[in-house]
Amino acid sequence: MNKMKKNNKGQEEMVGFALIIVVVSVILLIFLAFSLRNGEKESVESYEVDSFIQSFLQYTTDCRDNLEALSIQDAIFSCNNNEICIDGRNSCDVLNSTLSEILKESWPVGAERPVKGYDLIINSDNKSVIDIKEGQETANSKGSIQPFSRGGSQIDIIFTAYYE
Amino acid sequence: MKTKKAQMKIQQMAFMLIAVTLFFVFVGLFVLVIQFSNLKESSSVLEEKNALLLVTKIANSPEFSCGGAFGGGRISCIDSDKVMILRENINKYEGFWGVENIEIRKIYPLSEYLECTGANYPNCSIIRLKQSNIGEEHSNFVSLCRKESVGGNIEDKCELAKLIIAYE
Repeated sequence: MNKMKKNNKGQEEMVGFALIIVVVSVILLIFLAFSLRNGEKESVESYEVDSFIQSFLQYTTDCRDNLEALSIQDAIFSCNNNEICIDGRNSCDVLNSTLSEILKESWPVGAERPVKGYDLIINSDNKSVIDIKEGQETANSKGSIQPFSRGGSQIDIIFTAYYE
Repeated sequence: MKTKKAQMKIQQMAFMLIAVTLFFVFVGLFVLVIQFSNLKESSSVLEEKNALLLVTKIANSPEFSCGGAFGGGRISCIDSDKVMILRENINKYEGFWGVENIEIRKIYPLSEYLECTGANYPNCSIIRLKQSNIGEEHSNFVSLCRKESVGGNIEDKCELAKLIIAYE
């Protein structure tokens, strides 16, 4: 009888200890989940990428219409409307080559560099106009989306830079 | 005999209390370490953000910004003609922005590494306003615009550049 009582008490203590461990583990898991979620948010917003998009949109290309040389922003709409430059080149070709060069100089990619890759997507009404990819995608990224509209067309510029 | 049993029980209880306290102390330490590592990370992210915001603030200040000269309210746009004039009068702005170094480096189109002066502007790649080796460098992308004469007409010409600052 005495042995039974001792056994029961030991079991109770074990159950108590196990309960404490379970409660602490749950608290730890909740804490970890919250801290991981915050990290994800941090990697998404980037002032540098925002400024990059704002700046390259204003760049003056060598594609001219009847009035003046087009900026990248104007060239996106020109490409979207399948227009050609005054010298006969396709505005989409000029846009593609200019953006590729700008990206190559602004975000140099390499094994010894912090930037491992990038992806620039320009969508018009959810249809892809430009998609320039370089390097490799990693889990650590900085990106930004810049939407604007003109003449009923909705343009979205999505740029993501991948870091090590 | 009974006293011995009670002593044993008290000892058992004391050991259990010490074990539980140690367990919570370790858990607390673990949580603190994770939180402090996050704090360090978020402080460096905040520092980087502040530096980038300072660069953007300088780029959008009246002394640098394009204003209405290039049509519309452009963001992160620097009027290079204005900056070249500012370069001549930079001594009047001592301590105004609270930075040790200000320079604008052209990124695209690529051009020869040449510091801008009144004689070679705009065929140059770096406009140096303040020069110092003190402090950490921070930079952000800007659009560098100027007025250019094309076939007798005055046109806007914008290039891609980086505004680089350094402060203590």
